[in-house]
Amino acid sequence: MNLSISPSLGKAALALSLVAILGGCATTGSPVVGGNVQYGDSKAVETVTNQFGSTDLQTIAESMTRSLLQSAVITRGNRPLVTVADVKNKTSEYIDTRSITDSIRAQMLKSGSVRFAVDNDAMQSQTDELIRQNQTGMYKKSTTKKIGKMEGADFRLEGNITSIVKQSSSIKDVYYKFSLVLVGIESGVIEWADEKEIRKTSSR
Amino acid sequence: MTLRKHLAGLLAVASLLAASAVIAPAMADTIASKIEAQGEMTFLKITGLRQAVRNGLLSIQAEVTNEYEGQQTMYYRFRWLDASGFSVWDDEPWKPVLFHGKDKQLIQVVAPTPQATDFRLVVQSPENKTSPASTW
Repeated sequence: MNLSISPSLGKAALALSLVAILGGCATTGSPVVGGNVQYGDSKAVETVTNQFGSTDLQTIAESMTRSLLQSAVITRGNRPLVTVADVKNKTSEYIDTRSITDSIRAQMLKSGSVRFAVDNDAMQSQTDELIRQNQTGMYKKSTTKKIGKMEGADFRLEGNITSIVKQSSSIKDVYYKFSLVLVGIESGVIEWADEKEIRKTSSR
Repeated sequence: MTLRKHLAGLLAVASLLAASAVIAPAMADTIASKIEAQGEMTFLKITGLRQAVRNGLLSIQAEVTNEYEGQQTMYYRFRWLDASGFSVWDDEPWKPVLFHGKDKQLIQVVAPTPQATDFRLVVQSPENKTSPASTW
């Protein structure tokens, strides 16, 4: 089989590749299937409506974490054990406050300066697992995790989120205040507290 | 063949340029070296920048001045880098700041982790001379 390219075909190919190089107009199929969906920037400032949104969640979590990192009990450097109690939603909206505390916890853990104990929500699965290992007789003795070895937290995080909503015929103003405290569990002393305020105004 | 030669030449020039960019002497710690402005800000100016290490964490304070009589918005976020220039933290959320007319504001932040020894302040203002491509 003769594989040599005919001169005219070669010229055409050269011209095509030149066009592709100079014009950059060749479209390469993207690894995408489907229609009118676009992936956006998950960190972009979201201003679709003035209800509680992703930017509020992210900025609250970030500013609380950064402030907490500077608190005296954490800068001592002995990696205290913290647990997350409730953040009460006192606004008129539905807000998943657990999502905010989850972000705070993830960022705090990533910074490496604290440890977290299993909180109320996850306690059931923790005790279930311990009881199953110890009481069902199905596990090797040498690998069974002992009951009575869980560590008690030194501090707990708890807080509130409140809002003030004002509305006129043309303007809607929402003010959020997120407050968080770190309480010493043995002493009951509030060791750290901070607030994050957010104002959002929209006109119709 | 000539095209290939041209391409090879271009590649050589490009790699030379890249190499010189790498070898270039380290930039002095000027304000400009720490700021990544997405387009030149027309009315908002970064007029001060200081850093200190407190409790093992890098603290930054940036002073931003609005030179305009009316309100201006700025979006910003920090990039946290280690000594080798690697990013040590996830992308931060963009944060909006509102400036009143002729307002001056201090942006204070603390690094999220002791690993962060360097930073870049990424700023964008909607009324930039050249707006960047939309992030949406």
